[in-house]
Amino acid sequence: MSVFSANIVKKSSPKGHKPPPRFVPQEKNSFKERIIIFIPYLWMVLFFLIPFLIIFKISFSVTEIAIPPYSPLVTFEEGAMQIILHLENYTNIFLDPDGTYMRSYLKSIEVASISTLLCLIIGYPVAMALASCKSTTRNILFILIIMPSWTSFVVRIYAWMTILKKDGIINDILMSLGIIDEPIHMLQTDFAVYIGIVYCYLPYMVLPLFSSLMKVDYSLIEAAQDLGCRPIKTFFKALVPQTKSGIIAGSMLVFIPAIGEYVIPELLGGKDSILIGRILWQEFFNNRDWPLASAVAITMLSIMAIPIILFFKYQRKQGEL
Amino acid sequence: MENSTETTPLKTSVKQVHRPGELPGQKASPIEQNKKPILEIKGLTKNFNNFTAVNNVDLTIYEGEIFALLGSSGCGKSTLLRMLAGFEKPSDGHIILDGNDIVDLPPYKRTLNMMFQSYALFPYMTVGQNIAFGLKQEKMPRNEISKRVEKMLKLVHMEDYVDRRPYQLSGGQRQRVALARSLAKEPRLLLLDEPMGALDKKLREQMRLELVDIINSVGVTCLMVTHDQEEAMTMADRIAIMDRGEFVQIGGPREIYENPNCRFSAEFIGQVNMFDCILTKSDVKHSLIACNDFPRPIELLHDIDIADGMPISIAMRPEKVYISHDEPEEETNWCAGTVENIAYLGDISIYYVRLPSGKIITSTLPNVDRFNVGFPTWDDKVYLSWDPESCIALTF
Amino acid sequence: MLFNKFSKIALARFFTLALVLVFLYMPIMTLIVYSFNESKMVTVWTGFSLKWYEALLHNDAIINAVGISLLIGFMTAITAVIIGTIAAFVIVRIKKFTGETAFLLFITAPMILPEVITGLALLLLFVTLSDVIPVFSDRGIITIWIAHVTFCSAYATVVIRSRFVELDVSIEEAAMDLGAGPMKVFFVIILPAIMPAEVAAFLLSFTLSMDDLVIASFVAGPDSTTMPMLIFSSVRRGLSPEINALASVIVLVVSFFAFIFWLTTVRKQRRKERNRQLVAMAKSNENKII
Repeated sequence: MSVFSANIVKKSSPKGHKPPPRFVPQEKNSFKERIIIFIPYLWMVLFFLIPFLIIFKISFSVTEIAIPPYSPLVTFEEGAMQIILHLENYTNIFLDPDGTYMRSYLKSIEVASISTLLCLIIGYPVAMALASCKSTTRNILFILIIMPSWTSFVVRIYAWMTILKKDGIINDILMSLGIIDEPIHMLQTDFAVYIGIVYCYLPYMVLPLFSSLMKVDYSLIEAAQDLGCRPIKTFFKALVPQTKSGIIAGSMLVFIPAIGEYVIPELLGGKDSILIGRILWQEFFNNRDWPLASAVAITMLSIMAIPIILFFKYQRKQGEL
Repeated sequence: MENSTETTPLKTSVKQVHRPGELPGQKASPIEQNKKPILEIKGLTKNFNNFTAVNNVDLTIYEGEIFALLGSSGCGKSTLLRMLAGFEKPSDGHIILDGNDIVDLPPYKRTLNMMFQSYALFPYMTVGQNIAFGLKQEKMPRNEISKRVEKMLKLVHMEDYVDRRPYQLSGGQRQRVALARSLAKEPRLLLLDEPMGALDKKLREQMRLELVDIINSVGVTCLMVTHDQEEAMTMADRIAIMDRGEFVQIGGPREIYENPNCRFSAEFIGQVNMFDCILTKSDVKHSLIACNDFPRPIELLHDIDIADGMPISIAMRPEKVYISHDEPEEETNWCAGTVENIAYLGDISIYYVRLPSGKIITSTLPNVDRFNVGFPTWDDKVYLSWDPESCIALTF
Repeated sequence: MLFNKFSKIALARFFTLALVLVFLYMPIMTLIVYSFNESKMVTVWTGFSLKWYEALLHNDAIINAVGISLLIGFMTAITAVIIGTIAAFVIVRIKKFTGETAFLLFITAPMILPEVITGLALLLLFVTLSDVIPVFSDRGIITIWIAHVTFCSAYATVVIRSRFVELDVSIEEAAMDLGAGPMKVFFVIILPAIMPAEVAAFLLSFTLSMDDLVIASFVAGPDSTTMPMLIFSSVRRGLSPEINALASVIVLVVSFFAFIFWLTTVRKQRRKERNRQLVAMAKSNENKII
């Protein structure tokens, strides 16, 4: 056929001539892939998911002098299976006349929130200072700031105990300088708990803030200044929004674990620093009431479920996950 | 049966005016050269969740040719290439390499090799180790490996660089190493993914011809993917223009340029003037076409297989539109307008002439010829004329 | 005017960092200073002495606990890195699979859940399974190891994943194109590239494991007292100068490793600078040829 005829020949109609493409469902993972997925999956299901199901189950049982020290949920009586759900643990928690549990939940949330705020207020300038350093100094400073968190946690809390005691260093110095006459009662107070939490969790706030500050587009800041924005306004309108992901990540990394803190309130706190982590520990170790401890744990989880899921969703959106 | 285009069913009664292969300057097509097919693609399809990237395409590639897949981003050419290499699993279809269907083979079992757009050199290995990598996977004896590596380095003129590492090389040097690495295993088919994409302009022009020389000297069959039409036209023996998952036209560079089979092809390669017209009359040797943009009809020297009165598009390349101050003597194939703009490009000038209808026609004129046509300049009233053979009639 | 602004910022930066560093290191310094205190009364300085360090060396309970912590630390770090690598690979390279969301949740949750909850959960698991798997009924090093791996692999996954994501897929594809199977690609191409993250994950898991008190308390047995558990119980009873000595030793060891880490980063940076210069030279040479 002639070459010219190509000019006026119909392009083979795509939808008309060719059969419509077959619909193919989502590709299946190969066998090898499935094995690879399986290994960490199994570990996590076994050592993470199942334990929580167990906690859930035990929270519906009561203590017994037995091994393990709680009543079984499923019993067989006269050949019929019975499931007994004891709701006493939950009624104890929620309807306790003293309100100990509810008060301690609220206290935990309060302490965690204030600590998070303090970490943010202290951590942001630190992260900014770090990010604006030269690269060589930045490395050294970064290591210096992170290093304390590599030393033993308990040891550092112990250090604060020695500092905050009635005859500890701060009181010694203040008294020898004549600023106070009597030692300040600092240990075994909420104040000490705040210091402890901020001291230990500060790096967890600084790190995400630092990494998101490093990704900030400084030309936006310069543009704002060029357009006449005063420093404070520039800070809040041009810088902070760009670090939003760091702020959220850091806050979650402090807030959620802080709710359930045990060691810090135990060593640094007083009688009224009953955070929910301490209650769980006491119920479990001191009262040997496993079911009640489980119920406390489940209630704690339900409080934290929403922040945890929000954190998880946010991380996914940011592509961190 | 059309020789060089494969996806177009042909039904006209047009008599041959030129024989295939007679288009001056065009290489004879592979079938005429009695080459055998190396790669056959049949009904290859790739669907993603909500759209079809490659839609049921067929293609044959012959031994020793350099074939280019040309298209803008998103047309499916990269997906097609990745399916050939084995990095995407086709939703349907067959890929037959040397007679074997390789669709189910993983990439490390296929006898073709790919040169990546980013070169993908192994950063922790030397140049020599990079080239030797594929040979080591074949469990070739060590002395043979070093001989082959030497041969490859010589081929790409990088003998002195055998112990360098990729980060110590410039872009052009990395490209040569990547090429050497992909040729080291002497594959049946070489795939190139935007080979010039990572180079700067000057280097690109130099490397195009050098690359073709290397590939031809080795004699390997090559399929390249590019969005750069100049690259495709310079380097390839045959080109397939691809759009939205399908081949629009397949042919040699000259044929695609001179005889596009549809508006898309005509507008994709080079510059073109496109006119919406209506067929007035069509005889065996003769057709008259009425255009909205100028009074005189366009006359072609062959018939057109559509009914009188039906719409038709006429395409004309700017270099075939002659500009002059003198009114032509013919009755047909010219029109008049005013020079609105001139782009001076050193070797040629592009004239933008506005017709009374408002349409702008481009006409390119080599600057050495300006004297002959009276140096048309801005706001001149000029006449545009063309030969009947310069018109390309397209129904869509 | 500009100079003023510049030095104001520099001053602010200096003070912020100085204050924070003082805040962070004051407790640690206090411990170290008082570990050399002769008196048993930790805060009353009577004289310089090394006797607490001596006492430390002879304190079998502490030595034992440190040994157990080190052992569990190493075991945990190795296992967590392996699981973390596999998990990171799954997250980054494997396309969607059923239960992917749940997987991601499981992997990251241990990082933010309070330790009392994770500890309780794991203990109850061991207790429940102790009928089926006898190992779990004798709680000890094995159970602590499993518990530590569970929460450390969460951190390991995140660290390794963040490096994995930066990898250029086309290099792995090039290796496959040249004939390397998936296993080969992993060990020859991927692993060297993510090695820094693997090391970081190892160190992180080791530190977390050495430092853990709460979870270990839940799942430990009578003979498996870890170092943090020991410190905690002695601290509750009262202040102990041997703990000061132990703390100082820990700080010293950590500082040593931090110093080495800093040295390697400095050296890496110098090497990068040198390479950049080499490439620039190569490029200018090439332009000359053209």
